[in-house]
Amino acid sequence: MSRNAHLYAFPAVAVLLLGLPFAVSNEFYLKVMFLAGVYYVAAAGFNVLVGYAGQKSLGHAGLYAAGAYTAALLTAKLGWNPWVAFFAAGVVAGVFGIVIALPSLRVKGPSLAMVTIGFGIVIEKIATEWSDVFGGQAGIHSVLPLRLGAEPFAMRDWVLFVFLLGLITHLLMRSLLSGKYGRAFLAVHTAEVAAESVGVSVYRFKVIAFIVSAVTCGLAGALVAQQNQYINSDFITFGLSIFFLLVVLFGGGGSIYGPLLGAIVLTMVDAFLARWPHLQHFVYGALLLFALYAMPDGLAGALRGIGRKIFPRLHERPPVPTAVAEWQLQRSELLHKEAPLLEAKGLYKAYGGVVPTNDVSIAIRTGHVHSLIGPNGAGKTTLLNILSGIVPPDRGTIVFNGADITELVSNQICRLGIGRTFQNLKLFADMTVLDNVLLGQHPHMDVGFWPCMLGLRSASRQEREAREEALRILDFLGLLDKANEIAGSLPYGLQRRLEMARALATHPKLLLLDEPAAGLNPQETHELIGVIARVRDKGITVLLIEHHMDLVMAISDHVIVLDYGAKIAEGAPAQVQANPKVIAAYLGEESEEPAAPAVQPRPAVA
Amino acid sequence: MEAILQAVLSGLALGGVYALVALGFNITNNTTKTLNFGQGEFLVAGAFIGVTLVLVLSGKGHTGVLQPEDVTIVKYLTGLAAILVVLGILGVFLYYTAVRPFVGAAGLAWVMSTIGFGIIIQNTALGIWGPAPLAIPSPLGNEVIRVAGAGILPQEILIFVVSIVVMVALDLVLRKTKIGKAVRAVAHNKNAAALMGINVPAIVILAFVVSSCLAGLGGLLIAPVTTASVFMGLVLALKAFSAAIIGGLDNPRGCILGGFMLGLIESLIGLWHAELREISIFVLIIIVLVFKPEGLLGRKIVEKV
Repeated sequence: MSRNAHLYAFPAVAVLLLGLPFAVSNEFYLKVMFLAGVYYVAAAGFNVLVGYAGQKSLGHAGLYAAGAYTAALLTAKLGWNPWVAFFAAGVVAGVFGIVIALPSLRVKGPSLAMVTIGFGIVIEKIATEWSDVFGGQAGIHSVLPLRLGAEPFAMRDWVLFVFLLGLITHLLMRSLLSGKYGRAFLAVHTAEVAAESVGVSVYRFKVIAFIVSAVTCGLAGALVAQQNQYINSDFITFGLSIFFLLVVLFGGGGSIYGPLLGAIVLTMVDAFLARWPHLQHFVYGALLLFALYAMPDGLAGALRGIGRKIFPRLHERPPVPTAVAEWQLQRSELLHKEAPLLEAKGLYKAYGGVVPTNDVSIAIRTGHVHSLIGPNGAGKTTLLNILSGIVPPDRGTIVFNGADITELVSNQICRLGIGRTFQNLKLFADMTVLDNVLLGQHPHMDVGFWPCMLGLRSASRQEREAREEALRILDFLGLLDKANEIAGSLPYGLQRRLEMARALATHPKLLLLDEPAAGLNPQETHELIGVIARVRDKGITVLLIEHHMDLVMAISDHVIVLDYGAKIAEGAPAQVQANPKVIAAYLGEESEEPAAPAVQPRPAVA
Repeated sequence: MEAILQAVLSGLALGGVYALVALGFNITNNTTKTLNFGQGEFLVAGAFIGVTLVLVLSGKGHTGVLQPEDVTIVKYLTGLAAILVVLGILGVFLYYTAVRPFVGAAGLAWVMSTIGFGIIIQNTALGIWGPAPLAIPSPLGNEVIRVAGAGILPQEILIFVVSIVVMVALDLVLRKTKIGKAVRAVAHNKNAAALMGINVPAIVILAFVVSSCLAGLGGLLIAPVTTASVFMGLVLALKAFSAAIIGGLDNPRGCILGGFMLGLIESLIGLWHAELREISIFVLIIIVLVFKPEGLLGRKIVEKV
């Protein structure tokens, strides 16, 4: 929903929601509303983890339990104030979120599912078996409910409170996810390597997503425990974990409104079918199976599709200006021309018996364009991966701009000023062109988590500035009119250029380009020479891998030749061209028996 | 000492069931990169169909009570045949409704859809048999056999022997036969396999049939030891899944190793503190995955950049 529409719709919906409990006096209906609110709160945070960061957890009942038992134990056993206990439940669940995040970060796919299932079951079993503390099946009685003054909440108060909490959660999640955090979570979801390459710490953002989801699930647990004034181990089941996931996926993961739709619809289905418990589970099964089938993006996705057809105007993205000021690197980022920008010494990397990088030393001079060439399998991309921190070298050192970066990981290296593109494109394909470039700006957007979540002015100002610069960068590369298109729908040549735009947005001092001309037609290749020259003229040093020798010879100040992982020659283009070792590597030597194994498909060395 | 031997023996039997189900996970994972998260319910279906067939052959209703003399080896084997047919069909059905539409789709949709399929099976079973567990005596009788002082049930020996035989047979089929070679080719590279004239869809369906049948077999084998309950599937399948992950989901021998390891650990810990069995197993899994995410015998996947 656009900003303005939300501005008008939100107060209206808020008034309607807070008025609703007064129009209803039936306890059962009030309870249904309460539960819908509870599930919404849980799912809104869980959506950050599942829908945005793409980490499917099947163990969040464990975090719900952490919140529920914290509230129960603190009030029933220690006699804490119920409000303090309620918020403590959120904190404790958040801590548990870190506990589950740490092992989860090391695994993906089915193993991640297993780790989270394991976590959920361990919590469930602890609650069941450790009955001295948690009461087991008998449970914990006399949990104190929230209260106003001395008066404990009545059912209507609970509904009001939960609705209020839901509205606040919605606002917080909306401002958190609409800016740099939302983009970074989605980036982690779509392409971890690319996220790291633009300075997004995959580790950090996964942990944050786990914590956010843990806090909301924990608060949901505390709400249920305090409203029932009772909790036992039957509340905490694998089925509940599945239900949380169902709420998000059925409603629509990755959409702010998905969890809302999911919570409302599923709670109503639940209430409606409560009379036939068998049928209830049957329906869940069918929903899991067929909702995904019919609505891969959930209810929210399906409604958005319909809405787009009926009211196309409501869904237009803000228009892009037709002209913007020229993109300028900030002065402080320009460097001395003379000093070497990057010096790598004795880099060595082996995979078993294959040695793609064998004792390679290179020096990159500020302001120059360097080319890395060599036959297929010479180890060019591996060298680039080592320099950008994706692959750690076995031996050797890399000093960049006076700092040792050998041990650093990708996102730290990006922050120090090395940007890169990929041979096999790694765009955030489902996002717009503009969002891709905004992600490149990520390392420079220093507004923290809280200002973003609270929607403070500092966050929105920075977002606006980043957007302006992103548009300038797009203009610089001739992509301005494509800003609102989906990155994956661009023609191949433009996708390559967009990747370069994204890398430039990180304000690199050194730009690494891995085969920027691969798949381009001669016209596009020719344009690319001009683009690289303009990048160099901005004071950005370039190191590129390329097979198009005409491009290499036209643009390079310095050429480095690799063969079988070792550097065999370097120097000015003409010098390298005449080097007998280079000719031998590409074409094979006459005196030796079989030709060199990896002959270029297009041996363009004349 | 005797107690430990006892625990080892029953751990091996339990491990046999885990290993069978884990092997089923491995087969579909290798061919489609998916697996059935509702496998536990398939196991339940296997157990109940087997028990029911024995009941019917003994002239009793489908929720009747079986006497030891009702359960003969012939009836038990007939039950097995029925299981293989029904579970095989279920496997095909699962593939077409819950797996094929979602293979390759983003976001592990197949995890949810197979869980959904399992829930539907579980509730169908609840509708037919109700929540009460069904007991079935072992076809080999209940006389405890003494091995160096430790007692072991004939059914436990049966489980162990059958699971070993099935696994060796599968291993031989995979390595020595033409169809096994085709399965391995599909596991390595679907497109290349298709280009070599292998009928990839048929192999994939076969994988789901075999996987489902293994779960059904596991159900039939374990029913006389634990009594069959509609709710027993989830935990059994999760442990089998853990076994597969610990051993290495992509390696059939790893899955078998993981299954027996898990059975042994569970039964040895049960000796010490019965209530800690499940907790310690799942804590162990989390720890193993942290230090060796690809499993003990699994292959490390290197993402190409």
